[in-house]
Amino acid sequence: MKSFQYLAPIPHFEYLSPRTLPELFEALDGHGKEVQVIAGGTDLLIALKERMIAPKVVVDLRRLRRELGGILVEGGTLRIGALATFSQIESSPFVARYARALRQAAANVGTLQIRSIATLGGNLATASPAADSAPPLIALGASVTLRSRSGSRALPVQEVFAGPKRNGLRPGEIISSVELPANGDIQSSWTRAAVRNENVLSAVSVAVASSIEDGRFGPSRVALGAVAPTSILAEKASGAMTGSRATAEQADRVAALAAEDSRPISDIRASAHYRRHLVQVLTRRLIIQLISETTGP
Amino acid sequence: MSGRVKVKFRLNGASKTDEIEPNQTLCDYLHDLAGTTSVKKGCDTGECGACTVLLDSMPVTSCLVLAPQVDGREVVTAEGLGTKSAPHPVQREFVEQDAVQCGYCIPGMVVTLSWIFDHAPGASDAEIKRLMSGNLCRCTGYLQQIEALKAARKKA
Repeated sequence: MKSFQYLAPIPHFEYLSPRTLPELFEALDGHGKEVQVIAGGTDLLIALKERMIAPKVVVDLRRLRRELGGILVEGGTLRIGALATFSQIESSPFVARYARALRQAAANVGTLQIRSIATLGGNLATASPAADSAPPLIALGASVTLRSRSGSRALPVQEVFAGPKRNGLRPGEIISSVELPANGDIQSSWTRAAVRNENVLSAVSVAVASSIEDGRFGPSRVALGAVAPTSILAEKASGAMTGSRATAEQADRVAALAAEDSRPISDIRASAHYRRHLVQVLTRRLIIQLISETTGP
Repeated sequence: MSGRVKVKFRLNGASKTDEIEPNQTLCDYLHDLAGTTSVKKGCDTGECGACTVLLDSMPVTSCLVLAPQVDGREVVTAEGLGTKSAPHPVQREFVEQDAVQCGYCIPGMVVTLSWIFDHAPGASDAEIKRLMSGNLCRCTGYLQQIEALKAARKKA
């Protein structure tokens, strides 16, 4: 009875707040599977209260904001630190310029109170299939930098997800930052459907990133959230969109393929049938919007 | 188990040091141990906003923050927004506009709306509603609180 468990205190744990990356990796390596990292904590506190996890040690990243925070553009790359909050992402001029879809999604995550502390790295590490940051990042071709005591590696963002609420991080590894191309020619946008407008998980979310030149789409990606075990790149839709004519008819075709790419389930937020329908509607809407923004009415 | 965590932080403008159990939320700590009883526990899951406080000048649901995470930071609760003789403009207008019924959501509501007043002075009605969507009130229906914010702006 999870509602009664809220009355009992969270089981005890040791709390560590390392001041340097070497201290962090020592803390992570020294405690094996008993350790849990906390960043913003908005998912973790729920998991602790619901007894989904019972770590012996909780390691807080918040003193490492210099190493793991910040949003900057460097050498054609937009780098967003794992500890960047959704409020910071929502108000970043760099994100607005190079990753509009991510700004739109960030502004819709949770509530003001959640966005104030919830972090991009935490959203990815939680690996919810409904994580709103994931479809924009997939559409924009983002990669995620992971760090551990033994070094760092980069993965395409969709490969960070191993399954519903399961990430592919190795023991002792943390998400350090997210990198995406700072390319002003790429237009991107995100939208979602949910049972109400605010303070709600998405039933379906869609992001599209593309460019239009001489009436044709350049390299394009359509990404889908909450319609598969993880957020996914809609491969057939993206392939059909890339290089094709930027027309309403083509938007119809790509949207239908996106629905084929989706693998939704029925749950409390929507039925599989309705989700597949929404994928088509929302994908079409985003592509039509992209065409009208680029070529004018 | 190694136990308590030493913290030093600012609470409503005053420096505070304490040794706190890590497995408690900031909400429980502030309400039960630090004397700031304006901080209300509603849902305890970050949905209702009754426990909203400012953490380093940003509104957060304190039920989703671990108490030791406040070390080195600044916390402001409804008690710290103003005084009885010099209330925050939003607090003053909550009284003027009768924006209170049962009162349980009000401290959190006041914290969020004071933040909107201070940091988003140009926010439209739709934007105000978006920004206050994390504060649920089951009595009044929100209009009086929005009116209070707008009245405070008018007199600013």
